[in-house]
Amino acid sequence: MATIAPSRHTAPSQSAAAGKGLTEALRSWRRRLWIQQMLHWTENGVIAGLTLACLLLLISRLTPWDGAIYWAVGVATVSLLSALGAALWYRPSFARSAHLVDTQLALHDRLSTAWELRTDSAPISVLQRHDALRQLGKHTPGAVISLWPKRIRLITFGAVAIVLALLLLLPNPMNTLLKQQAAFQNQLASQIAAINQIRKEIDNQEAISAQERTQIDKILREAMNQLQQAKNGAQAQQVLAQAQANLNQLRDPQATSKALASAAASSSLAKSSNANLSAAGKALATGDSKGLDTALQNLASQISSMTPAQRAQLAQQIEQSANQALNNPALSSALHQLAKSVADGSPGEISDAINAVETAAAHDSATQATNSSIDQASQTLENAANTLASSTDNTNSQASGQSQTPGQGQNPGQGQAPGQGQGINGSGGQNNAGNKQGKNEQVYVPGQVGSGTSTITANGDNGTVQSGSPVPYSQVIAQYQQMAHDAIDNSSIPPDLKDLIQGYYNSLEGQQ
Amino acid sequence: MAKKSEGTSPLTGVNPTTEAQPEDPGVQIENEAATPSGPLSIKDGEGEGGEAEGPGEADIQAFIDIAQRLEHELCSIVVGQEQVIRELLLALLAGGHVLLEGVPGLGKTLLVRTLSDALALKFTRIQFTPDLMPADIVGTTIVTEQSDSNSAGSRRVFTFQPGPIFANIVLADEVNRATPKTQSALLEGMQEHTVSVGDATRPLPSPFFVMATQNPLEMEGTYPLPEAQLDRFLLKVLVRFPLARDLMRIIDTTVGTQTLRAGKVASGEQLMQLMETARAVPVATHVKEHAVRLLLATHPDQEDAPEQVRKFVRYGASPRGLQALIMTGKVRALLEGRYNVSTEDLQAVAFPALRHRIILNFDGLADGITPEDLIGTIIEETEIS
Repeated sequence: MATIAPSRHTAPSQSAAAGKGLTEALRSWRRRLWIQQMLHWTENGVIAGLTLACLLLLISRLTPWDGAIYWAVGVATVSLLSALGAALWYRPSFARSAHLVDTQLALHDRLSTAWELRTDSAPISVLQRHDALRQLGKHTPGAVISLWPKRIRLITFGAVAIVLALLLLLPNPMNTLLKQQAAFQNQLASQIAAINQIRKEIDNQEAISAQERTQIDKILREAMNQLQQAKNGAQAQQVLAQAQANLNQLRDPQATSKALASAAASSSLAKSSNANLSAAGKALATGDSKGLDTALQNLASQISSMTPAQRAQLAQQIEQSANQALNNPALSSALHQLAKSVADGSPGEISDAINAVETAAAHDSATQATNSSIDQASQTLENAANTLASSTDNTNSQASGQSQTPGQGQNPGQGQAPGQGQGINGSGGQNNAGNKQGKNEQVYVPGQVGSGTSTITANGDNGTVQSGSPVPYSQVIAQYQQMAHDAIDNSSIPPDLKDLIQGYYNSLEGQQ
Repeated sequence: MAKKSEGTSPLTGVNPTTEAQPEDPGVQIENEAATPSGPLSIKDGEGEGGEAEGPGEADIQAFIDIAQRLEHELCSIVVGQEQVIRELLLALLAGGHVLLEGVPGLGKTLLVRTLSDALALKFTRIQFTPDLMPADIVGTTIVTEQSDSNSAGSRRVFTFQPGPIFANIVLADEVNRATPKTQSALLEGMQEHTVSVGDATRPLPSPFFVMATQNPLEMEGTYPLPEAQLDRFLLKVLVRFPLARDLMRIIDTTVGTQTLRAGKVASGEQLMQLMETARAVPVATHVKEHAVRLLLATHPDQEDAPEQVRKFVRYGASPRGLQALIMTGKVRALLEGRYNVSTEDLQAVAFPALRHRIILNFDGLADGITPEDLIGTIIEETEIS
């Protein structure tokens, strides 16, 4: 109930002077408030930045995030700078300062009213200004406006800093995964480079027809593109397997038998007593088209001076060679034609037959070149698959620590299917019994990686693939097929999978 | 570097720096007829370039002195009702009428009578009853004998016999017991300070205050005041039961042989001057904005209204409520030793100024919600800019 009388004081002569006085009185308060605002906003920025950094680091522990630490540092810095910049930019106005001082000093809007009416010359406004200045004069900015941070902010800052330190110091389980991914990407890049290299080499091979070069190039390019997008080893292996399968489709399925037939015919011709025919056989065996042409032309010239009996004998030798080349119909037909024309002694027919033989030989040579290129590309893909598989195995082993017992994931005798080291159809083996990754998962076995000729040896006891002396393909297939049949009979493989495995080996046999 | 706008207010669109005069344009209480050249017209502040207007420091000091003495006189006689006396003074110095609500025997009539004694003003008391007629309040025209100088006889003429409303302080005791027709007889006087009887409108004396009382308990046979009439009361003051120590003082002061009477503190002219002084108190823009927010928050259809208001209020306060906030806030500021109205003043006067202007809906009445609850919520939830 007490009624307080306002203080008496002398009114200034000019209201403008009073307004200036108010401005001057508020200036130091405003400066102090600005500093306090900068400090408080900066504190808030630091706390917000550290909190965001903690959040980012926490996220990086839940999901693989390369560069999370840099993002955390960036966010914290940006937050701090934003808060500081905002504090600098939004300097409190005089009106705002007056209001804040009113609140802090419980002046009941004296200062804010005085500031608003600083130019008013009404007596009561002058009195009000002086009253406000008198009340303000009782305090000093330094004593009222503290620059020390509040306790709650210090506590918050400490808590956030501790959490941040823990997040930085404790090992992040996702780092191992990130390293694995980086290693995988490096391997992938090197394998893509290798595939690109072989692609260029094949593109430069003139022995292959342009159409086949284009097809091989397309397959390899697609493989490279898909490999670049592969997220993990399984995808990469799938891409490589698909590319290998596509390359295999370009092969002539009869190429091997044709080559054998051609070799047999060549061998037969080379054994001839006729020097020109023998030279033709050798040229045919080596794929020397010029030599073959020369030898056949010489033979044609020689035939004109030969007796019918000699021609018949020569025709018989050629006929034998043609019979040896039955599995190569074009060559066999050409040789039959040559034998007949030699027997007849007709120069025109001989010339036509020679052309036919040369054409068949050239075709065989091209086919062999194509197959060779496909083998080369396929081998590169196989090497890539093996390299990626080995790197995946290594990283998986590292990721799983030491708990994996020897033989579970790497035991060559259990899960590695025969033929995987061949380099062409290296995939498709049954799943490893020890890794529990599902029945139909493909398992890849490292083959011979590196330069030089790939040599395959088969260990009949355990099916491992080792480098060593060359073993014929047919023998390897037969051994592996027998092992597979034994394994199928002695295991609990479902019947449909038994058929699948048997079909697989049957298909391999057909490629001999 | 300072980019914070100091200019136009977001709520009113008024630039505070250009609004030099803190007059409240909405206030329409007509007391311009009051002469500023009273005994208190000392202009200490006229040294401001010689163009100063309004009250000076001496006026304000006189305001403080008179208000202090008046409050002291009232408190010495009416025991235990300090809050009521303060609110009564707020309304009196703001030039408004007061509705006192309380159970019988709390000293409402004594308070008003003591006030009239202290101010040496003409005081009338009207006991409102159901058979009270408007003419009993405003007066009536009667036939009287007048001497005729021309005929040396007398003649009958109609003369106006003023009713009890023609006084400075009118105590409308138990105003809700009269019929609405009779209650409405006060309307014109309260708002216009005039009374129209027949074809003549007669001014009421200045100052003119209506202090009405009503009993919240005995509601049977009463006619609750309509909203229009409630709105004309500047404040509604709740007279609460005194505390035990106050009751002890009541025994000492009222049951003894000594009869206390208030001494004269101020005249009617001085009171008018005090009212003029109070009106000159400046109000900052943000304080006005706060008053507007408080008022708007009483309206359930406003976005910023608290949830309770939306749920329990049928109608909010009228613009007269805003005038009441500002005017009584000015008086309170002076009484608190300040030359400016603060938001705290508004919050302090919000209860008596708004409680009779908030009309509850059925839910509010059924749930026992009181306007005081809502005003408290409004004050809590209305932020100060």
